Amino acid sequence: MNGGFGPYKVIELPGGIVISQTVTVTWFIMLLLTIFAYFASKKFDKVPNKFQNVVEVLVESIYNLTKQTMGEDKINFAPYMGTLLLFIGIANISGLFGLRPPTADVNTTLGLAIMTFVMVHYNAVKSNGIKSYLKGYLEPMPFLLPLNIIGELANPISLAFRLFGNIVGGVIIMVLLYNALGFISSSLGIGIPILQAGIPAVLHIYFDLFAGLLQSFIFTMLTMVFISMAMD
Amino acid sequence: MGLKLGLVELNWSFVFQIVNTIILFFILKKLLFKPVSEFMEKRRAEIEGSINEAQAKNEEAEKYKAEYIKKLEASEEEGRQIVKEAAKRAEERANEIIKAAHKEAEEIKQRANLEIERERKKAINALKDDIASIAMLAASKVIEEGIDENKHNTLVRKFIDEVGEARWQN
Repeated sequence: MNGGFGPYKVIELPGGIVISQTVTVTWFIMLLLTIFAYFASKKFDKVPNKFQNVVEVLVESIYNLTKQTMGEDKINFAPYMGTLLLFIGIANISGLFGLRPPTADVNTTLGLAIMTFVMVHYNAVKSNGIKSYLKGYLEPMPFLLPLNIIGELANPISLAFRLFGNIVGGVIIMVLLYNALGFISSSLGIGIPILQAGIPAVLHIYFDLFAGLLQSFIFTMLTMVFISMAMD
Repeated sequence: MGLKLGLVELNWSFVFQIVNTIILFFILKKLLFKPVSEFMEKRRAEIEGSINEAQAKNEEAEKYKAEYIKKLEASEEEGRQIVKEAAKRAEERANEIIKAAHKEAEEIKQRANLEIERERKKAINALKDDIASIAMLAASKVIEEGIDENKHNTLVRKFIDEVGEARWQN
Protein backbone atom coordinates (compact mmCIF):
# COMPACT_ATOMS: atom_id res chain seq x y z
CA MET A 1 0.00 0.00 0.00
CA ASN A 2 1.41 3.26 -1.10
CA GLY A 3 -0.32 6.22 0.51
CA GLY A 4 -3.91 5.21 0.91
CA PHE A 5 -6.66 4.50 -1.61
CA GLY A 6 -6.25 7.46 -3.98
CA PRO A 7 -5.48 7.22 -7.69
CA TYR A 8 -1.89 6.94 -8.91
CA LYS A 9 -0.10 9.85 -10.50
CA VAL A 10 0.67 8.74 -14.05
CA ILE A 11 2.75 11.66 -15.20
CA GLU A 12 3.43 15.16 -13.95
CA LEU A 13 3.58 17.76 -16.70
CA PRO A 14 5.66 20.93 -16.25
CA GLY A 15 3.74 23.50 -14.26
CA GLY A 16 2.55 20.99 -11.72
CA ILE A 17 -0.22 19.60 -13.90
CA VAL A 18 -0.68 16.02 -12.74
CA ILE A 19 -2.29 13.48 -14.99
CA SER A 20 -3.72 10.82 -12.74
CA GLN A 21 -4.96 7.30 -13.27
CA THR A 22 -8.47 8.73 -13.27
CA VAL A 23 -7.78 10.74 -16.40
CA THR A 24 -6.01 7.96 -18.28
CA VAL A 25 -8.77 5.47 -17.54
CA THR A 26 -11.27 8.10 -18.68
CA TRP A 27 -9.35 8.50 -21.94
CA PHE A 28 -9.46 4.74 -22.40
CA ILE A 29 -13.24 4.71 -21.81
CA MET A 30 -13.65 7.62 -24.22
CA LEU A 31 -11.70 5.71 -26.83
CA LEU A 32 -13.88 2.62 -26.33
CA LEU A 33 -17.08 4.63 -26.57
CA THR A 34 -15.84 6.47 -29.66
CA ILE A 35 -15.01 3.19 -31.39
CA PHE A 36 -18.39 1.80 -30.36
CA ALA A 37 -20.20 4.89 -31.62
CA TYR A 38 -18.24 4.86 -34.86
CA PHE A 39 -19.13 1.25 -35.64
CA ALA A 40 -22.65 1.61 -34.27
CA SER A 41 -23.69 4.26 -36.80
CA LYS A 42 -21.29 3.36 -39.61
CA LYS A 43 -23.46 1.10 -41.72
CA PHE A 44 -27.05 1.56 -40.80
CA ASP A 45 -29.46 -0.50 -42.81
CA LYS A 46 -33.21 -0.27 -43.20
CA VAL A 47 -33.45 -3.90 -42.17
CA PRO A 48 -31.42 -3.93 -38.95
CA ASN A 49 -28.95 -6.66 -38.08
CA LYS A 50 -28.32 -7.80 -34.53
CA PHE A 51 -25.73 -5.19 -33.61
CA GLN A 52 -27.87 -2.42 -35.07
CA ASN A 53 -30.83 -3.67 -33.05
CA VAL A 54 -28.80 -3.38 -29.85
CA VAL A 55 -27.71 0.15 -30.78
CA GLU A 56 -31.27 1.14 -31.66
CA VAL A 57 -32.65 -0.21 -28.41
CA LEU A 58 -29.93 1.63 -26.47
CA VAL A 59 -30.50 4.97 -28.16
CA GLU A 60 -34.26 4.62 -28.16
CA SER A 61 -34.44 3.75 -24.47
CA ILE A 62 -32.27 6.76 -23.61
CA TYR A 63 -34.55 9.00 -25.66
CA ASN A 64 -37.64 7.44 -24.09
CA LEU A 65 -36.22 7.84 -20.60
CA THR A 66 -35.51 11.49 -21.27
CA LYS A 67 -38.96 11.98 -22.74
CA GLN A 68 -40.67 10.36 -19.76
CA THR A 69 -38.61 12.12 -17.13
CA MET A 70 -38.20 15.57 -18.64
CA GLY A 71 -41.08 15.81 -21.06
CA GLU A 72 -41.40 15.88 -24.83
CA ASP A 73 -40.16 19.47 -25.13
CA LYS A 74 -36.80 18.73 -23.47
CA ILE A 75 -35.88 15.83 -25.73
CA ASN A 76 -32.79 17.78 -26.85
CA PHE A 77 -31.15 16.89 -23.54
CA ALA A 78 -31.20 13.21 -24.49
CA PRO A 79 -27.68 13.11 -26.03
CA TYR A 80 -26.14 14.64 -22.90
CA MET A 81 -28.08 12.28 -20.62
CA GLY A 82 -27.06 9.35 -22.80
CA THR A 83 -23.44 10.46 -22.57
CA LEU A 84 -23.70 10.67 -18.78
CA LEU A 85 -25.35 7.26 -18.53
CA LEU A 86 -22.87 5.53 -20.83
CA PHE A 87 -19.79 7.22 -19.36
CA ILE A 88 -20.68 6.76 -15.69
CA GLY A 89 -22.01 3.27 -16.33
CA ILE A 90 -18.84 2.07 -18.07
CA ALA A 91 -16.65 3.95 -15.59
CA ASN A 92 -18.39 2.22 -12.69
CA ILE A 93 -18.07 -1.29 -14.11
CA SER A 94 -14.46 -0.72 -15.22
CA GLY A 95 -13.47 -2.12 -11.80
CA LEU A 96 -14.47 -5.52 -13.20
CA PHE A 97 -11.58 -5.26 -15.67
CA GLY A 98 -9.03 -4.34 -13.05
CA LEU A 99 -9.10 -0.63 -13.77
CA ARG A 100 -9.58 1.99 -11.10
CA PRO A 101 -13.02 3.49 -11.80
CA PRO A 102 -12.70 7.18 -12.72
CA THR A 103 -15.85 7.74 -10.67
CA ALA A 104 -13.92 6.65 -7.58
CA ASP A 105 -12.23 10.06 -7.78
CA VAL A 106 -14.01 13.06 -6.37
CA ASN A 107 -12.61 15.21 -9.20
CA THR A 108 -14.65 13.27 -11.75
CA THR A 109 -17.88 13.19 -9.79
CA LEU A 110 -17.64 16.79 -8.71
CA GLY A 111 -16.84 17.79 -12.31
CA LEU A 112 -19.95 16.03 -13.53
CA ALA A 113 -22.03 17.48 -10.69
CA ILE A 114 -20.79 21.00 -11.43
CA MET A 115 -21.75 20.54 -15.07
CA THR A 116 -25.23 19.50 -13.95
CA PHE A 117 -25.33 22.51 -11.62
CA VAL A 118 -24.34 24.89 -14.43
CA MET A 119 -26.89 23.36 -16.77
CA VAL A 120 -29.63 23.59 -14.14
CA HIS A 121 -29.10 27.29 -13.50
CA TYR A 122 -28.37 28.21 -17.12
CA ASN A 123 -31.56 26.53 -18.30
CA ALA A 124 -33.58 27.95 -15.42
CA VAL A 125 -32.57 31.49 -16.41
CA LYS A 126 -33.02 30.75 -20.08
CA SER A 127 -36.53 29.36 -19.82
CA ASN A 128 -37.97 31.51 -17.00
CA GLY A 129 -36.08 34.78 -17.38
CA ILE A 130 -33.60 36.21 -14.89
CA LYS A 131 -36.31 38.01 -12.92
CA SER A 132 -38.48 35.07 -12.01
CA TYR A 133 -35.33 32.96 -11.53
CA LEU A 134 -34.05 35.32 -8.85
CA LYS A 135 -37.51 35.66 -7.37
CA GLY A 136 -37.56 31.91 -6.93
CA TYR A 137 -34.96 32.29 -4.17
CA LEU A 138 -37.38 34.39 -2.13
CA GLU A 139 -40.07 31.77 -2.14
CA PRO A 140 -42.05 30.87 -0.20
CA MET A 141 -40.81 33.58 2.23
CA PRO A 142 -38.07 36.14 1.65
CA PHE A 143 -36.20 35.27 4.84
CA LEU A 144 -35.63 31.75 3.48
CA LEU A 145 -33.14 33.15 0.95
CA PRO A 146 -30.02 31.78 2.74
CA LEU A 147 -31.63 28.35 3.03
CA ASN A 148 -32.55 28.35 -0.64
CA ILE A 149 -28.99 29.22 -1.61
CA ILE A 150 -27.57 26.50 0.62
CA GLY A 151 -30.08 24.07 -0.81
CA GLU A 152 -29.00 24.89 -4.34
CA LEU A 153 -25.34 24.53 -3.45
CA ALA A 154 -26.00 21.28 -1.63
CA ASN A 155 -27.38 19.65 -4.77
CA PRO A 156 -24.11 19.29 -6.71
CA ILE A 157 -22.21 18.31 -3.57
CA SER A 158 -24.68 15.57 -2.66
CA LEU A 159 -24.77 14.48 -6.28
CA ALA A 160 -20.99 14.27 -6.46
CA PHE A 161 -20.43 12.54 -3.12
CA ARG A 162 -23.26 10.06 -3.57
CA LEU A 163 -21.61 8.67 -6.67
CA PHE A 164 -18.07 9.04 -5.34
CA GLY A 165 -18.90 7.43 -2.00
CA ASN A 166 -20.67 4.45 -3.51
CA ILE A 167 -17.90 3.67 -5.95
CA VAL A 168 -14.93 4.44 -3.73
CA GLY A 169 -16.54 2.43 -0.95
CA GLY A 170 -16.73 -0.55 -3.28
CA VAL A 171 -13.12 -0.04 -4.36
CA ILE A 172 -11.87 0.12 -0.77
CA ILE A 173 -13.85 -2.92 0.31
CA MET A 174 -12.54 -4.88 -2.66
CA VAL A 175 -8.93 -3.90 -1.88
CA LEU A 176 -9.42 -4.87 1.75
CA LEU A 177 -11.03 -8.15 0.79
CA TYR A 178 -8.23 -9.05 -1.65
CA ASN A 179 -5.64 -8.23 0.98
CA ALA A 180 -7.47 -10.22 3.62
CA LEU A 181 -7.89 -13.22 1.35
CA GLY A 182 -4.22 -13.04 0.40
CA PHE A 183 -3.29 -12.85 4.08
CA ILE A 184 -5.50 -15.83 4.97
CA SER A 185 -4.07 -17.82 2.09
CA SER A 186 -0.50 -17.21 3.21
CA SER A 187 -1.32 -17.96 6.88
CA LEU A 188 -2.70 -21.32 5.75
CA GLY A 189 0.69 -21.91 4.20
CA ILE A 190 -0.41 -21.73 0.53
CA GLY A 191 2.10 -19.92 -1.67
CA ILE A 192 -0.50 -18.85 -4.21
CA PRO A 193 -3.32 -16.65 -2.79
CA ILE A 194 -5.85 -19.24 -3.87
CA LEU A 195 -8.70 -17.76 -1.86
CA GLN A 196 -8.63 -14.65 -4.03
CA ALA A 197 -10.22 -16.72 -6.83
CA GLY A 198 -13.95 -17.07 -6.79
CA ILE A 199 -14.88 -15.52 -3.47
CA PRO A 200 -14.58 -11.84 -4.55
CA ALA A 201 -16.74 -12.47 -7.62
CA VAL A 202 -19.95 -12.13 -5.60
CA LEU A 203 -18.88 -8.79 -4.17
CA HIS A 204 -17.69 -7.64 -7.61
CA ILE A 205 -21.15 -8.35 -8.96
CA TYR A 206 -22.68 -6.33 -6.16
CA PHE A 207 -20.30 -3.35 -5.97
CA ASP A 208 -19.25 -3.00 -9.60
CA LEU A 209 -22.19 -4.28 -11.57
CA PHE A 210 -25.24 -3.67 -9.39
CA ALA A 211 -24.25 -0.58 -7.39
CA GLY A 212 -22.29 0.80 -10.34
CA LEU A 213 -25.12 0.61 -12.85
CA LEU A 214 -27.63 1.75 -10.24
CA GLN A 215 -25.54 4.79 -9.33
CA SER A 216 -25.04 5.77 -12.98
CA PHE A 217 -28.78 5.57 -13.43
CA ILE A 218 -29.43 7.58 -10.27
CA PHE A 219 -26.95 10.30 -11.25
CA THR A 220 -28.50 10.62 -14.71
CA MET A 221 -32.07 10.59 -13.40
CA LEU A 222 -31.29 13.26 -10.80
CA THR A 223 -29.63 15.42 -13.41
CA MET A 224 -32.72 15.12 -15.59
CA VAL A 225 -35.08 15.85 -12.71
CA PHE A 226 -33.08 18.87 -11.51
CA ILE A 227 -32.91 20.41 -14.97
CA SER A 228 -36.56 19.84 -15.83
CA MET A 229 -37.68 21.08 -12.40
CA ALA A 230 -35.61 24.22 -12.81
CA MET A 231 -37.09 24.83 -16.26
CA ASP A 232 -40.74 24.41 -15.34
CA MET B 1 3.71 4.50 -11.73
CA GLY B 2 4.44 7.29 -9.33
CA LEU B 3 2.95 8.16 -6.01
CA LYS B 4 -0.67 8.01 -5.18
CA LEU B 5 -2.79 11.12 -4.88
CA GLY B 6 -5.03 11.71 -1.89
CA LEU B 7 -8.40 9.99 -1.84
CA VAL B 8 -10.43 13.16 -1.50
CA GLU B 9 -8.50 16.06 -2.99
CA LEU B 10 -9.28 18.48 -5.76
CA ASN B 11 -6.56 18.70 -8.39
CA TRP B 12 -6.06 19.08 -12.10
CA SER B 13 -8.15 15.97 -12.73
CA PHE B 14 -11.20 18.13 -12.04
CA VAL B 15 -10.51 20.27 -15.11
CA PHE B 16 -9.46 17.30 -17.19
CA GLN B 17 -12.62 15.39 -16.36
CA ILE B 18 -14.91 18.29 -17.24
CA VAL B 19 -13.13 18.73 -20.57
CA ASN B 20 -13.19 14.99 -21.16
CA THR B 21 -16.91 14.80 -20.49
CA ILE B 22 -17.63 17.68 -22.85
CA ILE B 23 -15.48 16.11 -25.58
CA LEU B 24 -17.15 12.74 -25.03
CA PHE B 25 -20.54 14.42 -25.22
CA PHE B 26 -19.77 15.96 -28.61
CA ILE B 27 -18.27 12.74 -29.95
CA LEU B 28 -21.25 10.63 -28.87
CA LYS B 29 -23.75 13.21 -30.04
CA LYS B 30 -22.17 13.42 -33.47
CA LEU B 31 -21.36 9.75 -33.94
CA LEU B 32 -24.10 7.97 -32.02
CA PHE B 33 -27.15 9.83 -30.81
CA LYS B 34 -27.80 12.20 -33.66
CA PRO B 35 -27.39 9.80 -36.60
CA VAL B 36 -29.16 6.91 -34.88
CA SER B 37 -32.13 8.94 -33.70
CA GLU B 38 -32.42 10.71 -37.04
CA PHE B 39 -32.24 7.41 -38.84
CA MET B 40 -34.94 5.91 -36.64
CA GLU B 41 -37.12 8.97 -37.02
CA LYS B 42 -36.72 8.81 -40.78
CA ARG B 43 -37.54 5.15 -40.85
CA ARG B 44 -40.56 5.73 -38.63
CA ALA B 45 -41.81 8.41 -41.00
CA GLU B 46 -41.15 6.16 -43.97
CA ILE B 47 -43.05 3.24 -42.45
CA GLU B 48 -45.90 5.55 -41.51
CA GLY B 49 -45.95 6.88 -45.06
CA SER B 50 -46.04 3.45 -46.63
CA ILE B 51 -48.77 2.30 -44.27
CA ASN B 52 -50.84 5.34 -45.16
CA GLU B 53 -50.17 4.77 -48.83
CA ALA B 54 -51.20 1.13 -48.55
CA GLN B 55 -54.38 2.14 -46.80
CA ALA B 56 -55.23 4.67 -49.48
CA LYS B 57 -54.56 2.09 -52.17
CA ASN B 58 -56.72 -0.43 -50.36
CA GLU B 59 -59.58 2.04 -50.20
CA GLU B 60 -59.19 2.84 -53.87
CA ALA B 61 -59.16 -0.85 -54.74
CA GLU B 62 -62.27 -1.38 -52.65
CA LYS B 63 -63.99 1.43 -54.53
CA TYR B 64 -62.99 -0.01 -57.90
CA LYS B 65 -64.12 -3.45 -56.84
CA ALA B 66 -67.59 -2.19 -55.91
CA GLU B 67 -67.76 -0.30 -59.17
CA TYR B 68 -66.76 -3.34 -61.20
CA ILE B 69 -69.21 -5.57 -59.39
CA LYS B 70 -71.96 -3.09 -60.21
CA LYS B 71 -70.87 -2.95 -63.85
CA LEU B 72 -70.69 -6.71 -64.03
CA GLU B 73 -74.19 -7.06 -62.64
CA ALA B 74 -75.50 -4.52 -65.10
CA SER B 75 -73.91 -6.28 -68.04
CA GLU B 76 -75.19 -9.62 -66.86
CA GLU B 77 -78.69 -8.16 -66.70
CA GLU B 78 -78.22 -6.73 -70.16
CA GLY B 79 -77.05 -10.08 -71.47
CA ARG B 80 -80.07 -11.80 -70.02
CA GLN B 81 -82.30 -9.20 -71.64
CA ILE B 82 -80.65 -9.70 -75.00
CA VAL B 83 -81.00 -13.46 -74.82
CA LYS B 84 -84.64 -13.13 -73.83
CA GLU B 85 -85.37 -10.80 -76.69
CA ALA B 86 -83.56 -13.01 -79.13
CA ALA B 87 -85.51 -16.02 -77.94
CA LYS B 88 -88.75 -14.11 -78.30
CA ARG B 89 -87.86 -12.95 -81.78
CA ALA B 90 -86.82 -16.45 -82.79
CA GLU B 91 -90.11 -17.86 -81.58
CA GLU B 92 -92.05 -15.24 -83.46
CA ARG B 93 -90.06 -15.96 -86.58
CA ALA B 94 -90.62 -19.67 -86.18
CA ASN B 95 -94.34 -19.11 -85.79
CA GLU B 96 -94.34 -16.95 -88.89
CA ILE B 97 -92.46 -19.56 -90.87
CA ILE B 98 -94.82 -22.28 -89.73
CA LYS B 99 -97.82 -20.14 -90.62
CA ALA B 100 -96.37 -19.37 -94.03
CA ALA B 101 -95.68 -23.04 -94.59
CA HIS B 102 -99.23 -23.89 -93.64
CA LYS B 103 -100.54 -21.30 -96.01
CA GLU B 104 -98.34 -22.49 -98.82
CA ALA B 105 -99.35 -26.05 -98.21
CA GLU B 106 -102.97 -25.00 -98.33
CA GLU B 107 -102.40 -23.23 -101.61
CA ILE B 108 -100.59 -26.18 -103.04
CA LYS B 109 -103.46 -28.43 -101.98
CA GLN B 110 -105.99 -26.13 -103.55
CA ARG B 111 -104.05 -25.91 -106.75
CA ALA B 112 -103.71 -29.67 -106.81
CA ASN B 113 -107.42 -30.02 -106.31
CA LEU B 114 -108.08 -27.65 -109.18
CA GLU B 115 -105.66 -29.57 -111.33
CA ILE B 116 -107.34 -32.82 -110.47
CA GLU B 117 -110.71 -31.34 -111.30
CA ARG B 118 -109.45 -30.08 -114.59
CA GLU B 119 -107.83 -33.39 -115.45
CA ARG B 120 -110.99 -35.20 -114.56
CA LYS B 121 -113.04 -32.94 -116.79
CA LYS B 122 -110.55 -33.38 -119.57
CA ALA B 123 -110.68 -37.15 -119.13
CA ILE B 124 -114.47 -37.12 -119.16
CA ASN B 125 -114.50 -35.07 -122.30
CA ALA B 126 -112.02 -37.37 -123.99
CA LEU B 127 -114.10 -40.39 -123.01
CA LYS B 128 -117.21 -38.69 -124.33
CA ASP B 129 -115.50 -38.10 -127.63
CA ASP B 130 -114.31 -41.68 -127.78
CA ILE B 131 -117.71 -43.04 -127.00
CA ALA B 132 -119.27 -40.78 -129.60
CA SER B 133 -116.97 -42.00 -132.31
CA ILE B 134 -117.44 -45.62 -131.21
CA ALA B 135 -121.17 -45.18 -131.18
CA MET B 136 -121.12 -43.60 -134.56
CA LEU B 137 -118.99 -46.39 -135.89
CA ALA B 138 -121.37 -48.87 -134.46
CA ALA B 139 -124.38 -47.04 -135.80
CA SER B 140 -122.91 -46.72 -139.25
CA LYS B 141 -122.22 -50.39 -139.24
CA VAL B 142 -125.77 -51.03 -138.20
CA ILE B 143 -127.54 -48.94 -140.72
CA GLU B 144 -125.01 -49.75 -143.38
CA GLU B 145 -125.47 -46.58 -144.93
CA GLY B 146 -123.34 -43.55 -144.42
CA ILE B 147 -125.00 -40.47 -143.68
CA ASP B 148 -123.20 -37.32 -143.59
CA GLU B 149 -120.66 -37.83 -140.89
CA ASN B 150 -120.97 -34.32 -139.52
CA LYS B 151 -124.66 -34.59 -139.17
CA HIS B 152 -124.27 -37.91 -137.63
CA ASN B 153 -121.75 -36.62 -135.18
CA THR B 154 -124.00 -33.89 -133.88
CA LEU B 155 -126.82 -36.35 -133.66
CA VAL B 156 -124.90 -38.73 -131.50
CA ARG B 157 -123.46 -36.01 -129.31
CA LYS B 158 -126.88 -34.66 -128.69
CA PHE B 159 -128.05 -38.06 -127.72
CA ILE B 160 -125.18 -38.63 -125.38
CA ASP B 161 -125.58 -35.20 -123.84
CA GLU B 162 -129.18 -35.86 -123.15
CA VAL B 163 -128.80 -39.35 -121.86
CA GLY B 164 -125.33 -39.59 -120.40
CA GLU B 165 -124.96 -36.36 -118.54
CA ALA B 166 -126.27 -37.80 -115.38
CA ARG B 167 -124.66 -41.17 -115.79
CA TRP B 168 -121.17 -39.96 -116.64
CA GLN B 169 -121.11 -37.65 -113.85
CA ASN B 170 -119.43 -39.07 -110.80
